[in-house]
This record gives sequence, structure tokens and C-alpha cells, in this order.
Amino acid sequence: MTRVTSFLGENWTLLSPALFGFVGIYFLLPQGRRSRPLPGALLGAAALLLAGWLLVAAVGPLPESILFYAFAGLAILGGGLMISQKNPVHAALSFALIVLASCGIFLLNAAPFLMAATIIVYAGAIVVTFLFVIMLAQQAGISEADQRSREQFLASLAGFVLIGGLLCVLHRTYQNNDLDSAMATLRQVADANTPAEIKEIMGDPKKMGDPKKIRRLAMMEELKKQLPQEHTEIDNLEGDWARMDVPALTSRARRLLSSHVRVGSLVPTEKHLSKNSGVAPNDPDAWKTTSSGALTERLPARNVAALGKSLFSDYLIPVELAGMLLLVATIGAIAIAGRRQEALR
Amino acid sequence: MTPVGLQSYLVLGAILFGLGAIGFLARRNLILMFLSAEMMVQGVAVNLLAFSRFRGNLGGQVLTLFMITVAACEAAIALALILMLYRRRKSLDVSLWQELREPDQDAVIDEEPLPLPPMEEPSPRLTPAGPAPQKREEEVSHV
Repeated sequence: MTRVTSFLGENWTLLSPALFGFVGIYFLLPQGRRSRPLPGALLGAAALLLAGWLLVAAVGPLPESILFYAFAGLAILGGGLMISQKNPVHAALSFALIVLASCGIFLLNAAPFLMAATIIVYAGAIVVTFLFVIMLAQQAGISEADQRSREQFLASLAGFVLIGGLLCVLHRTYQNNDLDSAMATLRQVADANTPAEIKEIMGDPKKMGDPKKIRRLAMMEELKKQLPQEHTEIDNLEGDWARMDVPALTSRARRLLSSHVRVGSLVPTEKHLSKNSGVAPNDPDAWKTTSSGALTERLPARNVAALGKSLFSDYLIPVELAGMLLLVATIGAIAIAGRRQEALR
Repeated sequence: MTPVGLQSYLVLGAILFGLGAIGFLARRNLILMFLSAEMMVQGVAVNLLAFSRFRGNLGGQVLTLFMITVAACEAAIALALILMLYRRRKSLDVSLWQELREPDQDAVIDEEPLPLPPMEEPSPRLTPAGPAPQKREEEVSHV
């Protein structure tokens, strides 16, 4: 019980938007005579704004973050609208909104080809086919099934327990700013050449009370806490720093950086992996080239050419199988839907 | 000041996935259930592309491309099935197919009546005032 309360006390900032969203969606879902869309919409908007405020507080007003929050807000708004609409035509149009907003997210993630493909396939083909089927099936107007939900309380509870759990896990996994800044410093050390540069980065070990030096010692403690298996290596790093042995220091920093790649991830360490799709996940060289702590863009700029190279080298058999699957699905759809004519005769 | 990190994209993917799950569980229209499943697929695609960018490997983009392919196949088959189910029952309500449930489950019966459709306002009627106009021969013949 105490563990539950302490968990709630630690994560209430994450869980409160999920709670607002849960109550909002519960009210928004169509439920016959008891539908209350207005408080549901207000609570949903509160959840969206609260979550946005929590996230925006952490990052600055860069163009990327503004675009991200605009597209993400649109996508989530479209999701809420889609599952709460009584009219299926409006729901299909809200789905088109979700697709367009997530295409903006795809573009932010350096995937212009997939953005175009998604717009053409989803918004162009699938949504239009859906609208066609809806028009065919619902000529009499909104049916009874659209005015009621099935177990709306349990369904929204299950969904938001899932969302809350995922948020907490993601927060716990990725909220490691201390480790990231320590790794950024290590990258600078790995690129350094002279004792003066090391002194610039980590402070002078002989000078007492140097604020830079105190901060770096705290960084070493943080590293020891995060990478317990590299304890001796970090101690040796401290010794090299005290002796100002630059070659030993840089090589040790490189080794620590490559060990960071292996921490907590399912990276096959020995196996040879293809480099046709970009950096191999177990390639330690990939992490040495970065000099600042900021995100490094390593995806090729020529997206379509690189995607084609990857598709026709690493993924050749899946491409053939996908073509086969499309053919089989076409034949299957015709076989299933075209049976009525036989029955009529 | 840091740019948007991997975590924000993963959060967006998780929220889209969860909303899709709610829609799939709660809605009773077959087409809406299928659209909710597609929304969950979109959440997964956002995740994959974010990983692809932050790891510098195109594998995530290739996987998303295959996902779009499979989603298109799935949409074709699912719409054909939905059309066939609609022809059998003349409705898209999944609850009409609840004889497929497990033998120890209770049937879902709607007890609450639906809200009445909104009353249409009667169109206004004008009371005739004064004598009716006389119709001339040629006017009537022209009509």
C-alpha cells in the first residue's frame, strides 16, 4: 500500500493528465440518453493542455518543438474526436485528420517518402474506401449501434491505465539528463588532443576549489551510479585526469562511450550487422563521431535513394513477400465481396 | 534549451495507441472498430520512425513501409468482410453477432431507450384573407 502511494506521489504530474483524459473520454463516448458531451469536451481539453504544459515546460520554443506540439495536439484531438463521434462519416474524416497530423510528425522525423506514401495510401485510398462503404451501408442515417457504447467505463479505464503505465515507464527510462550530459562531456574528452583542452573541459585537477572540477567529480559519481559494471574504468579515468595523461584519458573516454551503447539495450555485440540501412546498432564508431551532447542527425539526406538501397539489399525478400501479400489480398477481397451475384442467381 | 527528444515522440505514439484501444473496445460499429485499429497502427508507426531517426538507421522506415503495405491489404480484406456481414444482418452493429461469444458469457441486451429524434417544427400556415382572385380563361389554358 505504501509503495502504491509513493508511486502515485512520484508520478502524479504524469498521471493527472491521464486521469483528466479518462474522465473526459468516458463522458464523450456515446451512451444513449446519458451522453454528456460538454463536460467531456472540457475535461479532454484540460487533459490536452495539461499534458502539453508539462512537456513544453521541459523544452524551449524551437521551431521543431512548436511544430511537434502542433502536429501532436492535432493528432490527439483527432483521436478523441474519432472515438467519440456518433456519425461514422465524421469519424472517418477525423481519422483523415489523424493521418495528416501524423504525416507532419513523419516529416519531422526525416521521412519525406513515408509521409507521401502515407498520405496517398491512407488519406487517399483507405479513408475514401471507408467513406464508400459507410455510404453504401448506412443509407438510413445514424444507426442504433452508433448511439451506444459497449462498457464505456471499463474500456476507457483500460485504455488510460495502459496510457498511464506507458507514460510512467517512458518517463523512468528516458529521464536521464544527468547521464546524457556526462556522456556529452565524455565525447568532448574523447575528441580532445592537448592537456589545455582537457583543463578547459574538466577543470584543472591541481587547483583547489575550481567549480568546474567540483562539477566533474559529481559527474564521475553519477557515472558510477549509472554504469556500475564500469566502476574501475571510471576510477582509472579519474587517475588519468589527475596525472593529465591525455592519450590514456581519450582512449578511456572512448571505451566508456562504447559501453554506454550496450547498457540496457538489446544490442548483439559480436554479430556482424549490415550497414546498408545506416549505422549498424552495435557499431561503437558511430558514437565517436559526435562532438556535442545534442542530437546528431545521421540519416542520409537523400531519403528515397537510401530507402531504395536499403529495401533492395537488406530487405529484398520482404519486398517480394509484400508484393505477394498484396496480390493475395486483392484476390481474397474480390472472392469475399463478390459472392453476392452468385447467391442472387 | 533542448530540442524535442525521443521521449516526446514515444509519448505521442503511446497516446495514439491507447486512444485506439479505447475506441476498439468501446465502439459498436464495425467500421469504427476497424478505424480504431488503424489508429493504433499509426501510433506504432510514429514510434518506429522516431527510433529510426534517433538511432540513425533506416530499418524503422523500411518497417513502416511494410506496415503501410500490410495495412492496405488489411483494409481491403476487412472492408470486404464488413460488406458481407452487413448483407447478412442489414446492420453494422457487432452486438448482432454475439452468438459467437463463449458459452458461459451473458448476452448484452440494451435496456435503456435511445433518445427520441428531435421534433421537427411544423411549417407555418397562412390563414387566407380576403376574396380569392378570379382566374381568367387564358391564364388557366396556359397552365
